[in-house]
Amino acid sequence: MKADLNNFPQLNKTKFENRGKEFRLGIPVINAVTVGNSIAVGFGDGTVRIFSSGKISEPIKAHKGIVLCMAKDGDRILTGGDDGRFLRISLDGNINEISNFGTRWVDHVTSKNGSVVCTSGNIVYLWMPNKKEPKLLEHDSTIGGVAFDSKGRKLAVSRYGGVTLWKKDYSNKWTSSDLIWKGSHNKVIFSPDDRYLVTSMQENQLHFWRLKDKIDSAMSGYGAKVKSFAFVGDSKYLATSGANDAVCWPFDGDGPVGREPICLPYVGKQLVTFVESFPNENAILTGLSDGSVYLSEIEKANNTIIIRSFTEFEVSAIAVTDDCSHLLIGDMGGNILWTSIWDEEKN
Amino acid sequence: MQKTDKQVPVTVLTGFLGAGKTTLLNRILTEQHGKKYAVIVNEFGEQGIDNDLVVDADEEVFEMNNGCICCTVRGDLIRILSGLMKRADKLDAIIVETTGLADPAPVAQTFFVDQDVADRTKLDAIVTVADAVHLSSQLTDHHEAEEQIAFADVVLLNKIDLVDENGLEVVKQRIKKINPFAKIINTTKCGVPLNEVLNLDAFSLKRVLEVEPDFLTSDHDHEHDDDVTSLSFVSDTPLDMEKFQDWFTKLLQTKGQDILRTKGILDFTGESDRYVFQGVHMLMDASPMGKWPKGKERSSRLVFIGRNLETMNLKEGFENCKSA
Repeated sequence: MKADLNNFPQLNKTKFENRGKEFRLGIPVINAVTVGNSIAVGFGDGTVRIFSSGKISEPIKAHKGIVLCMAKDGDRILTGGDDGRFLRISLDGNINEISNFGTRWVDHVTSKNGSVVCTSGNIVYLWMPNKKEPKLLEHDSTIGGVAFDSKGRKLAVSRYGGVTLWKKDYSNKWTSSDLIWKGSHNKVIFSPDDRYLVTSMQENQLHFWRLKDKIDSAMSGYGAKVKSFAFVGDSKYLATSGANDAVCWPFDGDGPVGREPICLPYVGKQLVTFVESFPNENAILTGLSDGSVYLSEIEKANNTIIIRSFTEFEVSAIAVTDDCSHLLIGDMGGNILWTSIWDEEKN
Repeated sequence: MQKTDKQVPVTVLTGFLGAGKTTLLNRILTEQHGKKYAVIVNEFGEQGIDNDLVVDADEEVFEMNNGCICCTVRGDLIRILSGLMKRADKLDAIIVETTGLADPAPVAQTFFVDQDVADRTKLDAIVTVADAVHLSSQLTDHHEAEEQIAFADVVLLNKIDLVDENGLEVVKQRIKKINPFAKIINTTKCGVPLNEVLNLDAFSLKRVLEVEPDFLTSDHDHEHDDDVTSLSFVSDTPLDMEKFQDWFTKLLQTKGQDILRTKGILDFTGESDRYVFQGVHMLMDASPMGKWPKGKERSSRLVFIGRNLETMNLKEGFENCKSA
């Protein structure tokens, strides 16, 4: 990869834009989830559209207001909305309402190995495979985020004051322990090797716990709230938004305590609003508040290429197809780019 | 300031149970006004109002780890407002109902503390619905009732048909003693035009300039107890900026818990601009607001609403800020 930043701000279209397809829908893009080589996108008008081979599906009328959250569930997706509905949607647009919470929003959804989870208020609703009735896991405050570990045996629930870590024993009974850190915790993820748990906070910082010995620490110094973060490749780095640089914390060895992050700068001093791991590479896709998107290799010099030029709207979704051939970028202005990643391929 | 156009105004509706908040909310939701309002409610589910834009909230108060000892925010509000701001259709206003016993401070502070909320929404006004019959006893029995009056930009004095003229005057005096700057609107069944409670821009710094000087010169009697009172100071002598900042920062840091609201227009020596601020407890929004109008005398005006104000040596502190 080669630096291509001399033309910034990039008024000319990038090669990715030239060979890709642009959709100007004018509806805020809230989230995007990869299902095989299709990408499901949730919008601020409650609709979901499926992008596949550069084609866009008819809008699926999922929710009345906003698609608040979305997750992959096998070959389908789960969505939660501000109409209180928790839905399972197939890629051909079939909607199955799993539950309805009325005026209470469905804030978070996730799934693993057939188990399906949504949260509303302070309660996690957990449907085990083939069970009709959910198990209810109650918490003291509203849930900020929810995540399964890679095996689906642990469920991390972030909230005010820390994380509740639920564990399933071999008789399928769930017991909980608390990871405590003052303040309100939002999004939570496990590292791909399940050794670490990371949350973003109401304050401009992240927090992590090393699960084997419960050592924890803050990752701070951000100018804005960290809303997007992702482990890169084999979890050597955690890439984060919330600064002018993409800040990448080292999670190899004993983790980031006492170590400096690698900061990937972008011209123009825009805020990084979205980060996504680039599959199978030590590289990240970074979306900025002006709509531009870059691909950067973390440990190389001259490591950044521009994927999309600016749109004036903050990047709110980036997703790569499972075969790594194509990617989708969406922003809060409702602009979507679908493009092939590698030069030799055609759309 | 340039963001104003994109910021959706948020009205905070407080008031004791039974004062008439629900009546007002019902009007906002059902009247044909051609506007799109979202209403964030508490304990409202049973009313069975079928409206897509009614959101249930939990009134969760969070402490912030920002070194500000009394800084609490409404976590649920951050979540819901951030969600509402992602909607494709733009809202004309958002109304946040608080429960009868809620302290309005965390709601107001949310708009100062959370950057996302501050970027996309703005605190428009705090409207307190008060029951003309029961307010006096509520003020005596519950400090929350005092706080709701103290924070109010508008007090809807409801059910006035149920008190006589004398009784009404007594209640009004009681309100004015706590908060002489709130606009009092007399109503029965909250029958007030909605444009008198929504979209008032009461928290904008520009509005501070409209604080009436006559109000400010009058001195109020103080009770020697926990009552919320107000104090105001005026000076025709310009203030020393450094001295003022030292005094005021320290004052808010040490007494911010007792100081509920502050407003001020300041004339600093050597500065051609008017400085305007307003604060909630320890948090403050301040900015130069253009030149002093020609032909009008420059002067500084400062207002405090809070508890135990008489113990803070405010007059002395303010006097010491005058330029020598």
